Amino acid sequence: MAAKPSLKNKGRGKGPKGSSSSTSSSSSSKYELVKEWTNWSLKKAKVATQYGFIPLIIIIGMKSDPKPHLFQLLSPV
Amino acid sequence: MADLLPPLGTAQIDGKTKVDEKVDYSNLPCPVPYEELHREAIMSLKADNFEGLRFDFSKGLNQKFSLSHSVMMGPTEVPSQSPDTTIKIPTAHYEFGANYFDPKLMLIGRLMTDGRLNARVKADLTDRLVLKANGQLSNEPHMSHAMFNFDYMGSDYRAQLQLGNSALIGATYIQSVTPRLSLGGEVFWAGVPRKSGIGYAARYDTDKMVATAQVASTGTIAMNYVQKISEKVSLATDFAYNYLSRDVVASVGYDYILRQSRVRGKIDSNGVASALLEERLSMGLNFLLSAELDHKKKDYKFGFGLTVG
Repeated sequence: MAAKPSLKNKGRGKGPKGSSSSTSSSSSSKYELVKEWTNWSLKKAKVATQYGFIPLIIIIGMKSDPKPHLFQLLSPV
Repeated sequence: MADLLPPLGTAQIDGKTKVDEKVDYSNLPCPVPYEELHREAIMSLKADNFEGLRFDFSKGLNQKFSLSHSVMMGPTEVPSQSPDTTIKIPTAHYEFGANYFDPKLMLIGRLMTDGRLNARVKADLTDRLVLKANGQLSNEPHMSHAMFNFDYMGSDYRAQLQLGNSALIGATYIQSVTPRLSLGGEVFWAGVPRKSGIGYAARYDTDKMVATAQVASTGTIAMNYVQKISEKVSLATDFAYNYLSRDVVASVGYDYILRQSRVRGKIDSNGVASALLEERLSMGLNFLLSAELDHKKKDYKFGFGLTVG
């Protein structure tokens, strides 16, 4: 078990030395930022599609020729 | 697709098929899309049997735009731990749909009462390149899927690129080798269960029969054969074997297209016999009856429905 204390020292040693690896962490954090942004935009796109897809079809359909009336859209016949 | 057949097609319809007919290899017809390779067999053998009541009402507002309302009531199966028992939960839902059909753009959307949206888009970007998108979005987290396909149609080949959510990439290619034979292949890479696969397919069709075969590295080997006996009757048979999980299924089915009705039925080597009847009661009014008897699991499903418009 002589390997264990050296591993623990390595773990503690990294704390104060964190500033020297800031360049690698900033590039990795850029990647993290890009990932977070794409996740956020995908979530918003999913909500937008869920709410807006059917209204989009209805708007495109009501603008096509011959233009149907609003009454035809709402009545069950 | 009939106008894409080479001029030699009329010579083939004459009773005798001569082996030494000259084939114009530079003018082959465009093949069937890769995912529709076995479409004739699917029509007979994978008819959509349902359980319970189904009522579809579809109202056209003009040539291109229509709305649809459907009500479905019946038990839906929930996957259960043991393969012997099937758990069914009775559910009822209403689905509102809107369709827009244009020669260049097709939009189909279906929204259920529990917030699930099923959306399909097909847009012709140019006259050779088609974009298709398909999505099932739901309110539950991690239960939404979306897939985008780019299809390119060449003179005698088709190529497709697929992108799906959770890092799924696939590509398929199919080429006409002779006027009757087309060969194709597909490759996919899935990110979440890290696996990739490759598959090959072949399709041979004449006026009277269609035979297809597919092999994939996911372990499936599938072959099917459809014989068109007459304008009204066709018979199909299918054999699927998975060499990794050692599952094998063979089925035989029929498809009768009559003047007022259409009956499709099949029987399986798993002990499943099923049938679907669609009867046209009058103009725009269709009556559906579906039955599926699974003798091995002792699960019997019956359904009836009405389609208006």
